[in-house]
Amino acid sequence: MARPDAGIDARTRRGPGPTHLALMLLPALVVVVMLFGGGLLLGVLQALGHLPGAGLERLSGMHFGRVLTDPDFIQSFGLTLYVAAVSTLLAAGLSVVAALALNRMAARWRLVHFVFQIPLTVPHLVIAVAVIFMLSPAGLLARLAVAAGLIETASEFPLLVNDRWAIGIILTYVWKEIPFITLMLLAVLQNAGGELIDVGRTLKADAWQRFRHITLPTIFPALGAASLIVFAYTFGAFEVPFLLGRTYPMTLPVWAYKHYSDIDLMARPEGIATGIVIAAVVAMAVVTAQALTRRARKRGIVL
Amino acid sequence: MGALSLKDLHIHYDRQPVVQDFSLDIGDGEMVALLGPSGAGKTTILKVVAGLLAPARGEVIIDGQVVNDRPPEKRDAVMVFQKPLLFPFMNVNQNIAFGLKMRGDDAARRSRAVERILALTRLAGLGPRKVHELSGGQQQRVALARALVLEPAILLMDEPLSNLDANLRQEMRELILTVQSELNITTLFVTHDQAEALMMSQRVALLLEGRLRQVGSPRDLFHRPADPEVARFFGGGNFFRGRLHEGHFECDFGRLPVTAADGNGHLRTATIRPEDIQLATAPVDLPDSFAGTVVRTRFEGMATRAWIRCPFGELVVLTAESALAPGQSVRLRLPPDKIRVFSEASSSE
Repeated sequence: MARPDAGIDARTRRGPGPTHLALMLLPALVVVVMLFGGGLLLGVLQALGHLPGAGLERLSGMHFGRVLTDPDFIQSFGLTLYVAAVSTLLAAGLSVVAALALNRMAARWRLVHFVFQIPLTVPHLVIAVAVIFMLSPAGLLARLAVAAGLIETASEFPLLVNDRWAIGIILTYVWKEIPFITLMLLAVLQNAGGELIDVGRTLKADAWQRFRHITLPTIFPALGAASLIVFAYTFGAFEVPFLLGRTYPMTLPVWAYKHYSDIDLMARPEGIATGIVIAAVVAMAVVTAQALTRRARKRGIVL
Repeated sequence: MGALSLKDLHIHYDRQPVVQDFSLDIGDGEMVALLGPSGAGKTTILKVVAGLLAPARGEVIIDGQVVNDRPPEKRDAVMVFQKPLLFPFMNVNQNIAFGLKMRGDDAARRSRAVERILALTRLAGLGPRKVHELSGGQQQRVALARALVLEPAILLMDEPLSNLDANLRQEMRELILTVQSELNITTLFVTHDQAEALMMSQRVALLLEGRLRQVGSPRDLFHRPADPEVARFFGGGNFFRGRLHEGHFECDFGRLPVTAADGNGHLRTATIRPEDIQLATAPVDLPDSFAGTVVRTRFEGMATRAWIRCPFGELVVLTAESALAPGQSVRLRLPPDKIRVFSEASSSE
């Protein structure tokens, strides 16, 4: 005779319930929450003025207010936004071109595919130092230009490092992020792009129409998500603008670091408040990237 | 509408010949099935017709014009793929209207054409739906509608039913037949399913190992296979050798009157389909019969397949008699009019 609860058993055997799942994840969650959440909470407390070592204990939004109304903060925010936006846009645009080219070549030249992945393994700091060696007025390009007779002295070489337009910083980010975005796009193109393009060809779409109406919408969720991740990273990254940026205005992460490490302990809450602002912008970008990815998956586009 | 001619096509992949000496003419409004096992080169031929692949040699002629140098978007041929391959970022209406939009049709015209094709493919009311909200059968119907809406001279279908379950497949077959006859579109239909090819097409072209083996009506291929391989592809399992002599095929099974033409005294191969062999469990039932013993049986629903050991070899029989058991004695008769004697060239295997 069949057991009356046989159906219930079959359903429950599909997998652990939400409570069971939460319990299984608890050990890992505790570590993450303690380390990340604890640090964040401590940061928020300090940004709110809780710094007993400096005699500050009363919580207030004063430091956030000071930071947000500081003209230097506005300048730094603008510079950081400019660097993150321009490097992300350039990297995204070039990545689309690279992904399309690699998609055509990948089947025949797997080596090209491999070589393209190498920059992913090189730290930003190494590339920043390489950019200094290459692009600074005493760098390799300047000397080559002198040797080639293009300029008379190295000082005539255009300023590309520690410059007003943050060209060195942007070039570093572009060089580093192109492979990341490209490989994400390539995965999408290799998964569905080729067949959809063939469909488009038999449905009378010419090359431009195929790019505009098939390729671009297909890669858009991946492009958007990857670009937002890159934007979030470049917005919050410290080492590259610290090495290749000007002393004024500074990008927000450098500005936050300067405040935090200031000899005057009273500047520390403002440094941390700046860090919280950066974290909020980064979090918004990551959440948007996640939303884009979810939406794409729902529509059947594999990322 | 459109006529399609494929002349002496040779197609290579990585310098390896995939299709050789392939020629086929398809008349205006005709529906032809390109039948063959997996890997025979069927999809490759379809892609060459669509312009997605270039042949190493030979000509693709649509409506009297050689189109080898035309890209796919400039050919009046549309392909429906094995998978629906709908654009996931568009709804049903946008998917169907895609080709019209690329062609430059205005919005009002597109809308009218989409409405008409939605009704024809029994998709009315699903226009605003997202692709991921459709069932597999509905997605394949949208893919078909997306191709049909362009009213191409040539419709190419690459096993569009292979991913559907049996019921949906039957439903789609009916739909394709209805739509094809209504629109009178010249159609080349690729399938590896014999039943599908026989049921759906006016003519069948059988491709084996990259070569066209026989073209003809479904009845021709089924009942009058050109050679033993074609017969085997269509489920023939009984082959026997004998000599033609004065209108008779003299073999181990007897002197059977046949309608085969010339070739007196020559050694030939003959075949008979399993369902054409008459079987009786009582000796009185069959004149000119011989004895056999059931070796094994397999129940196939409408019929039972039985392997019968005879004095001259083993024969496969498809019979309505479902109570056969291994070891049982039976009588068999080979009706002479059902015996197919192959020509000399094709008998030599």
